[in-house]
Amino acid sequence: MILSIEELSITGRDRTLVDNVSLAVREGEFMALVGQSGSGKSLLSQAIGQLLPPNLHASGRMMFDGSNLLDRKPKEMRALRGSRISYIFQDYQGAFTPFRSIGAHFDEYQKVHGEKSAAVRRSKAAEALESVGLEAKLLRRYPFQLSGGQLQRASIATALMLSPRLLIADEVTTALDSVSGHRVLELLARKQAETGCAILFITHDWRHVRRYANRLSVMKEGRIVESGGKHRILDHPQHDYTRQLIAAAPILSRSLNSGLEEDKA
Amino acid sequence: MTPRTIVLRLSGAPKSKKHGWQAIAGALFVLLVLAASAYTFLYLKHDPTLTDLRGRLHGASASHPLGTDHLGRDVLTRLLLGGGQTIGYSLLALGAALVIGIPLGLIAGYRRGWVDRLFMRIADGFLAFPDTIVAIVLSGLLGAGIGNLVLAIIIVKWVSYARLVRSTVLAESQKDYIRIARTNGLSDARIMTKHLLPHIAGHVLVLASLDIGKIILLISSLSYIGLGAQPPTPEWGAMLNDSRPYFQSRPELMVYPGLAIVSVVLIANMLGDYLRDRFDVKKEVQP
Repeated sequence: MILSIEELSITGRDRTLVDNVSLAVREGEFMALVGQSGSGKSLLSQAIGQLLPPNLHASGRMMFDGSNLLDRKPKEMRALRGSRISYIFQDYQGAFTPFRSIGAHFDEYQKVHGEKSAAVRRSKAAEALESVGLEAKLLRRYPFQLSGGQLQRASIATALMLSPRLLIADEVTTALDSVSGHRVLELLARKQAETGCAILFITHDWRHVRRYANRLSVMKEGRIVESGGKHRILDHPQHDYTRQLIAAAPILSRSLNSGLEEDKA
Repeated sequence: MTPRTIVLRLSGAPKSKKHGWQAIAGALFVLLVLAASAYTFLYLKHDPTLTDLRGRLHGASASHPLGTDHLGRDVLTRLLLGGGQTIGYSLLALGAALVIGIPLGLIAGYRRGWVDRLFMRIADGFLAFPDTIVAIVLSGLLGAGIGNLVLAIIIVKWVSYARLVRSTVLAESQKDYIRIARTNGLSDARIMTKHLLPHIAGHVLVLASLDIGKIILLISSLSYIGLGAQPPTPEWGAMLNDSRPYFQSRPELMVYPGLAIVSVVLIANMLGDYLRDRFDVKKEVQP
């Protein structure tokens, strides 16, 4: 059990946005958190890194490595973020500061996490880029000189560079077309097999869930309505809402129908 | 402005032809002023306060290229040294306003919440006073002098920089690259200095270069009414005032410092306009 969230609530000034959620991520697993937009899944992921906006308050317990994340001081959380817990987001276009080169980002992240030698930082950065299938010469480029797919890979490389124990992927495939989306997830799954990090995968796309996840939780209006193994939930959903979601998922069982036949009929 | 254009423009890519002459003329004038100041600072050995009552109000001659004033002092010497005074103090005031305004704006915009509200209410308070009034009140309380005048200008001017920086930072810090910098464990101070500060440099540069002309005018005009540089310090505004009684007989005594003020302010504004177009900053940056 690498991360176990127990009775976490996130409250704003006058309403509860995440209500008494409990969730566990096991070592090295691909855990999917599924839900509609606005169900509180992104807030939950932000709460893990103490990244909530200042007007929201989290209560409950979040055990990571045997201690409660909510009790940690901001400085300890800073040391944790990026090295033990990493994030990747949907918007890969804006993932890098526009006027700094890609290499400057890699260098800086290693520096703040205590890597003193510049030569080591350089070689690690090149290694990280190569491990996601990009050339090391991209380190000298600026973000606008890279394509969207390259940026997405580079941001995955930064997230995985310091071998985190937990990777939080927040809607990473939403802005990508389905081929690129699968490519990114395949890359993630491959890196997971190499490094053994756990992935908390936040999505509303059932196709990706069906293909990559080990376990999943379904979230609705700030509560978790159902969680369990992938096969159990997909084949035998217990909760009405899960059934609705699955029924609403676009499933391409046959080849893509243009609707021409139906028009004629 | 998209990030892409910043990088392109900073790396000196395509220049717009339209403003080429403006830039060249501006650069030449700036060089001229700088050269004159450097010459004055390094080589000029004449005493600007050396009075010669037998040689009062002389016209141009070989020993006094621009003539002498009502106390027989060399006008060219005073003009050159006065330039150092006026421009130097303007830059000092501007620099101090930047040093106060930029960090406050950064912190307010990045932290938000009560810090932001507190700083901005203070800024609103300062903004409520017209600059001339502050200068007059401060001179009244602390005595007239160039130091107090500079202080008054700082008090008035830092607010606009704090507000400009804050508004840019408010918009930028919502963007994903700042969020990702945070999720990668960077400290707030590092994010502010390394990831946000370079972003606002262009905006601040434009506002500052548009402001410098105003500050020069303010220092000159307040010196003219006797609140700034005190005699016998050579200062353009004070020189204007000194030569006022002789306007009928020797108008050029007023024309020289007046022309100096006008041309320097003009150059500063031209440079500011050029930078604004070049950095593609929105109209709201205009002071």
